[in-house]
Amino acid sequence: MSLPVRSATLLALLGLAAASLFVGVIDMAPSQLLRDSEALKLIAISRLPRTLAVILTGASLAVAGVIMQMLARNRFIEPTTAGTGQSAALGILLATLYAPGAPLALKMGLASLTALLGSGIFLLIVRRLPVTQPLLVPLVGLVYGAIIGAGVTFLAYRADLLQYVSIWLNGEFSGVIAGRYEFLFVSGVAAVIAYLAADRFSILGLGRDASISLGLNYNQMLLLGLVVVSVITALTVVNIGMIPFVGLVVPNIASRLLGDNLRSSLPFVAASGAGLVLVCDIVGRIVRHPYEIPVGTVFGVVGAVIFLWLLYAKRPSHG
Amino acid sequence: MRSLVQIAAAAVLFAVPALADTLTVETARGPAEVPASPEKIAVFDLSAFDTLNALGVSVAGSVDKAYLGHLKDAHEKAEVVGSLFEPDFEAINAMQPDLIIVGSRSSEQLEPLSKFAPTIDMTVWGDDLLGLAKARIEAYGKLFDRADKASALSAELDEKLAKARETVAGKGKAMIVMTNGPKVSAYGKGSRFGWLHQALELPEAVETSSENSHGEAVSFEFIRDANPDWLLVIDRSVAIGAEGARADETLDNALVAETTAWKNGQVIYLNAADLYIAGGGARSIMNTLDLLIEGFNKPS
Amino acid sequence: MAERRLVWLAVGLIVAVLVFMTWGARGNWGFVFTFRGTKLLALLVVGAAIAVSTVLFQTITANRILTPSIMGFDALFLLFQAGLVFVLGGFGVTQLSSGLRFAMEFALLMGAALLLFGTLIGAARHDIHRLVLTGIIFGVLFRSLTSFIERLIDPNEFAVVQSSSFASFNSFDADLLRYCVPLCVLGISAAWHYRRELDVIALGRDHAVNLGLNHKRAVLIILIIIALLVSVSTALAGPVTFFGLLVASLAHLVVRSHRHATLLPAASLCAGIVLVGGQAITERVLSLSVPLSVAVEFLGGLVFLTLILRGTQR
Repeated sequence: MSLPVRSATLLALLGLAAASLFVGVIDMAPSQLLRDSEALKLIAISRLPRTLAVILTGASLAVAGVIMQMLARNRFIEPTTAGTGQSAALGILLATLYAPGAPLALKMGLASLTALLGSGIFLLIVRRLPVTQPLLVPLVGLVYGAIIGAGVTFLAYRADLLQYVSIWLNGEFSGVIAGRYEFLFVSGVAAVIAYLAADRFSILGLGRDASISLGLNYNQMLLLGLVVVSVITALTVVNIGMIPFVGLVVPNIASRLLGDNLRSSLPFVAASGAGLVLVCDIVGRIVRHPYEIPVGTVFGVVGAVIFLWLLYAKRPSHG
Repeated sequence: MRSLVQIAAAAVLFAVPALADTLTVETARGPAEVPASPEKIAVFDLSAFDTLNALGVSVAGSVDKAYLGHLKDAHEKAEVVGSLFEPDFEAINAMQPDLIIVGSRSSEQLEPLSKFAPTIDMTVWGDDLLGLAKARIEAYGKLFDRADKASALSAELDEKLAKARETVAGKGKAMIVMTNGPKVSAYGKGSRFGWLHQALELPEAVETSSENSHGEAVSFEFIRDANPDWLLVIDRSVAIGAEGARADETLDNALVAETTAWKNGQVIYLNAADLYIAGGGARSIMNTLDLLIEGFNKPS
Repeated sequence: MAERRLVWLAVGLIVAVLVFMTWGARGNWGFVFTFRGTKLLALLVVGAAIAVSTVLFQTITANRILTPSIMGFDALFLLFQAGLVFVLGGFGVTQLSSGLRFAMEFALLMGAALLLFGTLIGAARHDIHRLVLTGIIFGVLFRSLTSFIERLIDPNEFAVVQSSSFASFNSFDADLLRYCVPLCVLGISAAWHYRRELDVIALGRDHAVNLGLNHKRAVLIILIIIALLVSVSTALAGPVTFFGLLVASLAHLVVRSHRHATLLPAASLCAGIVLVGGQAITERVLSLSVPLSVAVEFLGGLVFLTLILRGTQR
């Protein structure tokens, strides 16, 4: 990627992050920062955590999307396809039903664990599938997710908790505040690990036989990839909720613009993921001020428009 | 001539019980003709169950769960004839009730159920919750021939309401919030829970228009900015019997801590089952009012 | 081989039907038989409609993962339900007559299907890949709007949305069935009529054109059949999102044939077994405390995974 593009992306991201610090219910101008200790406190408690959470979420989800698509060798797979979201919902439900008094952090931790466990089981199933039928992976993923989803509905329906789960998993940053988002740094770390192993993931995307003949430990890389994807998805879903399209739109834009060399495209993917989610979160805070529109909804609309434009404005490469 | 008299007499004989047998009561869908003093009734709505129970009417069939603590005994005596959403039509058919009552969540089942027995929709909906709840009490009183008990219950409700109104008067502005795990919604006076503002004349911390009848997604900054004197909290996760849920934990943070409500410990946790599962039931309303009276009276 | 398996499936369906009709009957038999008979008819017709539409869809899109439900039709249905409650209020919605609601839902789904398929077919190059993607994108869009509405409405109104968000086969308006059954039968027979063309389409566009098929026209007709079947079955019963995927995959696993003369009945029979069996379980074991789609997706999904994993072990 050329230097101008790179610096433009970075500048745009920084600008958005700065804007995000000064958008919120309580009026606060940048000038107040210098003389008002209340303003600094507000930044520290509310605005900065929120902005960081948005950046971490957007960047890592976009990276997870790229890795997932490499693993499945399918451009239209989202990281949540492996039953991760449903497993997280199951964890939230079980914690709410059987340990209603447990602290929020514990519930979130438990939900992250079940999400990881859910993805782990998916991995075990995938490893038993014949390599000759790559189509089976997403198919099994969908059915697997549906089974866990049915379990969630079963429990939630009987306990009248469907709306509770639905709202918890509705992607939004309104609940983010210092002390409520720090898990997300772990998913940031997972995204960095993915970047460090980027070259090997690129090879993985060529398929099993090609990777093995190029000397890659195929199974080990597959495992690493799925762990990265699961950690990111699990933590995001539990802490923020589902944000549609980030893992789908951004990787597709990136691969159109930059091709499939992950080492050069991953930073761009991460930055545009973060930038897009930031834009949507800021819009969600402004449109119905002082109330909020969840970022998942804003991104659902924006992402749909971008994706449709991509699909119809240019001749698709797979035409 | 004689035969004509006979016919007339017969007509009177048949007509009189027919007249005595049905009466008209006010339902959610307008006046409805129902059999008088039905003995065996099936109830698919918990606010109806609650009010009937308060009037001492026994319920023969109901849904699979009691949901409310104070209905447990009455619920155990009733036969299970379905869930809140799905009636078990075969059980209803086997039971042959004289009257079926549906409402809110089961309101959609009015049409299919009326093939089995006279069915009325007693939903308590909209912002005039108290007015409708009292209309239902009156209707049940008429229907089950216990007008005295009904007016006593209505009076009890009025008394409780007056006491609550008196208690909250001049104590500041309130905000109704519902917690969903880490997320919070705020409800205004036009919402489902808005009757707390309207009937109690309890001012809102943030003025809302009455058209805005939904729960809004809000941030903690919003609560801090509104700075309510009282926080009325509904925990969405306190569904059936999940005791000890932690709405307080969601709200316990640096921003909410700066509100008057939090500083003075003026946070009242409302009972979700009383508020929305059996929202219009006489006993449920009084339970909610009791919680408010107790909360507002607590020395701060 | 494939024919013998069809016979086994038919036997399975008969067993499921017998269990469904007789298990735990109370009250007088006349009532039970007519009541359960009506439900049975609806279950079989809806099941066959979903199965056939899914198989057709997978054939013309040359994929075995996506179904009309997954692509966004269920999401549109759910958005419609949530929107209705948002606008009319929960109580307002429950007062709509079932006939009016069915007509609205049917018109909406049919309109959306024809719009989606029509614009794409009308374009100079028609491109199934884009069609599928567009569907997925709209599905996500609808779902994110629905969850926004679910965030705003109060628990009571949510309960109304919830009850129409899951397929229910507990009671049917006999008048609705009178319209739906002929429509479904029409769609299914049309699909059966085109079974040979479908075999050709399954070979891929180039092959199909080489074999002298008017590919564009055939695809258009089949898309219309799919639109009809999906709209009628969803408007009648509600969404069972993964059901189509499930029974189409089961049919492929069981008969292992690419001929639609075998595949269509196999998928319909699988659908019948799963729906009728699932309904018997939700009614008798779970006493209606959960929606049918939950039982179907859970049990059907497990069966599917077991079959796949056993198949790969050999």
